[in-house]
Amino acid sequence: MDASAAATPLHLDFYGFLNRLRRPGAADLVGAVKSFLVSFSLYAPDAESDSRRVQDFLLTMERTIKQHPLWANAPDEEIDSAIEGLEKYVMTKLFDRTFGSSTEDAKLDVEISEKIRLLQHFVKPDHLDVPIDLQNEASWLFAVKELQKINAFKAPREKLLCIMNCCQVINNLLLNVSMTTNSAPAGADEFLPILIYVTIKANPPQLHSNLKYVQLFRRREKLVSEMEYYLTNLFSAEMFITNINGSSLSMKESEFQKSMQAARFANEVGDPYSVPELAKVDPPIMTRHGKEIHLGGSNKYPFMERDAEDLTREDVKMLLGLYKQLVTKYTRLSEALRRHSLDEDLLIHTARDLTRRVPSKSIVKDKGAFHSFIASGRALKCF
Amino acid sequence: MASAGKNNSINAKLVLLGDMGAGKSSLVLRFVKGQFLEFQESTIGAAFFSQTLALSDATVKFEIWDTAGQERYHSLAPMYYRGAAAAIIVYDITSTESFERAKKWVQELQKQGNPNMVMALAGNKADLEEKRKVATEEACTYAEENGLFFIETSAKTAINVNDIFYEIARRLPRAQPAQNPAGMVLSDRPAERLQTSSCCS
Repeated sequence: MDASAAATPLHLDFYGFLNRLRRPGAADLVGAVKSFLVSFSLYAPDAESDSRRVQDFLLTMERTIKQHPLWANAPDEEIDSAIEGLEKYVMTKLFDRTFGSSTEDAKLDVEISEKIRLLQHFVKPDHLDVPIDLQNEASWLFAVKELQKINAFKAPREKLLCIMNCCQVINNLLLNVSMTTNSAPAGADEFLPILIYVTIKANPPQLHSNLKYVQLFRRREKLVSEMEYYLTNLFSAEMFITNINGSSLSMKESEFQKSMQAARFANEVGDPYSVPELAKVDPPIMTRHGKEIHLGGSNKYPFMERDAEDLTREDVKMLLGLYKQLVTKYTRLSEALRRHSLDEDLLIHTARDLTRRVPSKSIVKDKGAFHSFIASGRALKCF
Repeated sequence: MASAGKNNSINAKLVLLGDMGAGKSSLVLRFVKGQFLEFQESTIGAAFFSQTLALSDATVKFEIWDTAGQERYHSLAPMYYRGAAAAIIVYDITSTESFERAKKWVQELQKQGNPNMVMALAGNKADLEEKRKVATEEACTYAEENGLFFIETSAKTAINVNDIFYEIARRLPRAQPAQNPAGMVLSDRPAERLQTSSCCS
């Protein structure tokens, strides 16, 4: 599922809209959009009042476009797609100002993400009341991926679509299970726990800022009904995670605190190379297996002697985690070398000549490992 | 919130509350699926449903929000019932625990919900008479005291399932001509109360 609708006819998509704005007859609209965007420089950024201004502007423009000669006799869906295009255009221009710009929101984003990184260590579907016959990690992975796409988009509509797609995957799973097993139909009793679990697995980037942004800047008339319901569900998942404690997971508070402490410890020692800002982009799987990856010096790269045929799916996940870690480390090393005006290849040769203990074969092997890491990454996507 | 559009069509958000396993979503599914011949558009998800009902004086489009009934999710409920025009509080007649839970929901809605919310109490699984733990009279008296519409339902046999939704649709405030003050919307409330008390007889 992709957030951009591929099958939209040209006159209804975003580029169709931009093309229409380029016509001489649209000069008045272009002028209105420009002066609207410029007007923001007069005010200090404030999410609520920015939202009001955007919503009012979109409403005014809707009326204008309905009466505009360029849209004369246009069907409703064409007018609607023009306003959608306008929302996307305006919000892309205002993105830096309106998305997660307050320090308070940024702080909440980090807090939630850090908390989720701890919860990933020990929260299981059972803690949240996900019935056993609905526990389907493979299907959930699709939902997880939809949610993780959220920062690939700037337009509120497209961010909301990521949320909808995630919920739709869960919905389909529930409908399929109730159809195939002839059991009682699932409802929110099952949906919400799975959504919370998926959110913990996904640890979506800037969760709080994304939710707030969609709520404030998605056209009000579009944030209704099913859309509103599923957005509310993700808000409630956020709230549940923010307030999580022992009793919300049916465990003793002392046990909960102990698990959190252990997770904190595992995150710290399991990943000695990570720095805080990188920790956020680390895939959850890597921190989950952090301990296994770093058992000691010789076990740092446990796949060096393994054959591709012997790898299990768990291994591939771990491998991907290791690969990402290696690439990050390598990229940073290269950067550091460049800063010191050192030539990388020359350095490798010098090192080889100096030590003579590192046979050139192993370097070649290293490169081979890199390629197999890349290949395994692709394989994982195909699952 | 119930909002009126053209030709007296009403959009009404309806929230479902009740213990896990009381049969909230079965009840709605029975209603939504049972309507397919009668009306055009409906949405069937796992937790969100919409269904339009045609009444003699209005068309009511229900947007039905299901909520998770487990105790651990209780504190999230206000996010769902905020702005709801109607609520169905569902309990299972074979479980006194679920009835106690239902009473808690009623109290909470009376304290924190929209004061004009139309509330219905549904004693579900009425087909399981031999396992009954909650007497009809007890629930009925409780409903009367609290101004709720009460009915026993069975999602399995479909008994009274449509009735509960039609009754809610009838009780939703209708759009008033613009010159009337908004407060007049409540003027037919006493009649509703009378109807409520007749549910037990």
